[in-house]
Amino acid sequence: MRRLLACALLVPLLLLAGCGLQVPADPDGTLDRVSGGTLHVGVSPHEGWAELEGGQGVGREAELVEAFAASIDAEVDWVEGGEEQLMAALQRGELDLVIGGLTDATPWSTHAAITRPYLETTDDAGATVRHVMAAPLGENAFLVALETFLEEAA
Amino acid sequence: MRLEWLTIGFLVVTVGLVALTVGSSQAMRAALFEDLLSFIPPIAFLVAVRIIRIAPSERFPYGLHRSVGVGHLVAAVALTAMGTFLIVDSIATLVTAEHPTVGTVVVLGHVVWLGWLMIAVMALTIVPPVVIGRIKIRLAERLHDKLLYADADMNRADWTTAVGTIVGVAGIGLGIWWLDSAAALLIAVGILRDGLRNLRVAVLDLIDHRATTVDHDQPHPLEARLCARMRRMPWVRDAGCRVRDQGHVLHAEVFVVPRRSRVSQRTLARAGRAARSLDWKLQDVVVVPVEAMPEGVTGSRGGGGDPQTGVERS
Repeated sequence: MRRLLACALLVPLLLLAGCGLQVPADPDGTLDRVSGGTLHVGVSPHEGWAELEGGQGVGREAELVEAFAASIDAEVDWVEGGEEQLMAALQRGELDLVIGGLTDATPWSTHAAITRPYLETTDDAGATVRHVMAAPLGENAFLVALETFLEEAA
Repeated sequence: MRLEWLTIGFLVVTVGLVALTVGSSQAMRAALFEDLLSFIPPIAFLVAVRIIRIAPSERFPYGLHRSVGVGHLVAAVALTAMGTFLIVDSIATLVTAEHPTVGTVVVLGHVVWLGWLMIAVMALTIVPPVVIGRIKIRLAERLHDKLLYADADMNRADWTTAVGTIVGVAGIGLGIWWLDSAAALLIAVGILRDGLRNLRVAVLDLIDHRATTVDHDQPHPLEARLCARMRRMPWVRDAGCRVRDQGHVLHAEVFVVPRRSRVSQRTLARAGRAARSLDWKLQDVVVVPVEAMPEGVTGSRGGGGDPQTGVERS
């Protein structure tokens, strides 16, 4: 048992050293597919943060997403929809990112990888709001790239 | 005693560290739950150690040594519960093919993948339970304390879980999403096996199974020594005994068939002292003169069982 575990630990590390793999990696290869390709973004309209005007994303989050896409050399394909519909599409792998004024209190954490809050604002009632985006579950390389970008940009 | 406080102190630190980095790794969440459960055996031990010091009284004529057995049962249930929970949890994740998500944290202004921190924390938590567990097993054998033995098993569960978590998180890092749950499952099976074994031994001892060594592999050697010692006395024609485990001391009933029909009280008292002087574990020995051996008694000449059999192997 002990030896087995030691091997199980050692083999991936050797593989890692041998192939120069990226850690963390995406099980479904989202970051690889999106880089230099198309980033499919779902927008649940939220005034000032994320809206579509003439097929183009506008608002604070939409601009951040545009900048992120540019940083990985990707074109953005905008899709508008309701939150539930977009989250389901994200889970099916049809979308790579969902925005729409989401906060860290979002109940969608079972459907999506919620990013670390990239911005804190205060709402009308004086409560702190922590803004997040929703990425596909388990696509950790993509999530790390996005969170790193948001940390530096916001 | 001090060892147990050390264990608890170390667990508090571990739980704190793990809770900080828990994220949504299956193995990591399991490790947290497991750490919480592993508080139970050391606490049970500390409570039992206090209670067994209470002297026998009218209310508790046999003393309170059995509290160690109760503690052993509690610890065994904790281990079993932990193993079961881990198995169910990791199978559920494997079946639903839920991909574990591990994001980033900011440490001193740098964005760091949380997985590295998880691996670091887990690597730190491997060493103490290995060391403490080894010391406990040795102590448990010397003190004949099965609760401490179960607690040492819990320490082994602790560090194997830590190793499994490292494997699981490394798997996430490499994009092998199922490795996390698979590692958790493998460990859970080991923990469940330990739990069930301890559960069985604890129950057997509580319903007065023949006394055994702490690992429940063999009949306790004192049993045979006690019978042999009694038979060596010139006035004894045959002797057999019934020894049960009170958790850390043994309670023995010795049946002797005297050569003559009369035995003086002084002779009996001397036999009792001889029995008790064999080992500190034999504090409560009753010597009963009988006409014939009762059933289920070991070590007597006229049948009644061979000291090498009659123990269920585990």
